[in-house]
Amino acid sequence: MSWQRYCATAEDTIAAGEAFAAVLRPSDIVLLSGTLGAGKTTFVQGVAKGLGVRERVTSPTFTMVREHTSSNALGIETLHHCDVYRVESLDEVLDLALGELVEDSAVALVEWGELAASVFGRDVMTVDFRVDDDDGRTLTVDGELAATRGAQLDRWAS
Amino acid sequence: MMGLVLGIETSCDETAASVVDEEFHVLSSVIESSIDQHRAFGGVVPELAGRAHVATIGPVVRRALSDAGLDPHDPKILGIAVTSGPGLIGSLLVGLSAAKAYALAWGVPFVGVNHLEGHLFAPLLESSDLEWPLTTLLVSGGHSLIVLQSGPGEHVVLGETIDDAAGEAYDKVARWLGLGYPGGPEIDHLAQTGTAGSLKLPRSMTGDDYDLSFSGLKTAVVRATEKQRDLPVADVAASFQAAVAEQLLRKLRRALEHHPVKGLALAGGVAANSALRSGVTELAQEFGVEVHLPTMAMCTDNAAMIAAAGTYRLRHDGPSTWDLSASPNWQLADVS
Repeated sequence: MSWQRYCATAEDTIAAGEAFAAVLRPSDIVLLSGTLGAGKTTFVQGVAKGLGVRERVTSPTFTMVREHTSSNALGIETLHHCDVYRVESLDEVLDLALGELVEDSAVALVEWGELAASVFGRDVMTVDFRVDDDDGRTLTVDGELAATRGAQLDRWAS
Repeated sequence: MMGLVLGIETSCDETAASVVDEEFHVLSSVIESSIDQHRAFGGVVPELAGRAHVATIGPVVRRALSDAGLDPHDPKILGIAVTSGPGLIGSLLVGLSAAKAYALAWGVPFVGVNHLEGHLFAPLLESSDLEWPLTTLLVSGGHSLIVLQSGPGEHVVLGETIDDAAGEAYDKVARWLGLGYPGGPEIDHLAQTGTAGSLKLPRSMTGDDYDLSFSGLKTAVVRATEKQRDLPVADVAASFQAAVAEQLLRKLRRALEHHPVKGLALAGGVAANSALRSGVTELAQEFGVEVHLPTMAMCTDNAAMIAAAGTYRLRHDGPSTWDLSASPNWQLADVS
């Protein structure tokens, strides 16, 4: 299944992330793909807002993973904000052990996730960020989701 | 014998060790960089860095001790200072584990040091006449912040990046333009022959605070070069470099206007940038304050600055305990 949402501005991308947060469940891993400056970190800033993260969310490129405590009604207590931009081999992604990191009431959002898609298998959601000619962004969510979450994404996309 | 401290730094690219005395004289400073390996990949490869640290930490520490005229098997030092955050977790753990092992073997205390606080101590290693208060612009591949210091170890973070670090933006723009890693020197070099302003870039972060942002500039360069593929790379480099310096200097000016100080210091890898060095020097002259520009060796990660910060922390807070773990996200604002 696939859902699309258009974002004209960075503020729209933050709003899209904030609304997307409601779709998340503990143990989710979401891979974010798109070129440099397509809005991946901006989207995560919105998700963090939606999950009730209080601290500032900045680029995780340097440390690979930033951990944020979150407070929400979804049972998600931790947001792992990851970035595999610097990674060159899949072994290195395995070493991050994201699957284990999300086991405990957490979710992980992975920037440049397409580089590591094969490590995570099909059991993940993906969000692709495309830069349009008018400088807006088209976000495409893909995932095999249960009906309730599918309905939530129908509303997210409309 | 004066109290000597061994510093160990492995938070990112460099495996470094250094011996510093209590008056911050550097007796030895050894740096082994894995940057050549990274150059092939266009970025830091965490596990590569981790493995390199494992292989180099022993020889680097032994050389730092013998360069300082100490017996590497029984160096008679006061203690060990080690970077315990922020940084790449695997790399940090190599340094921290080594520090604990040496501390145990030699029967000396050890202390975990914040890497950013280490950078703040770098000017003390190069100028003995440092006067406080001091405003420091700390810019590197992983961090960008403006810090007000009332004395050694006493600091307030006035502002920091809300998205990418300045050095990270340099690296990403350089990789986008097909230049080498690290991106800073490459862009700085190219910028010398280009015309700044030939590429119109947004003037960012115009608010009344000290926060910084480089993601918008990075995106503007990417989008503009996608649309105009015939733009000379040197002009793109010059325009990007000018825009980064403009923002940093504007925020520094604001800091000097609102928080009078005696000195202005640059720290971190981006402190090697020529536009920033000349801009900061002019700014300091205009405000009549001392300028402290680090030498190239002191800009980049090194263990002497960690030893200096550790000397202070050992004296003021005492040693760390054995259960100290690495803190990949340790904020400077949380150091007290």
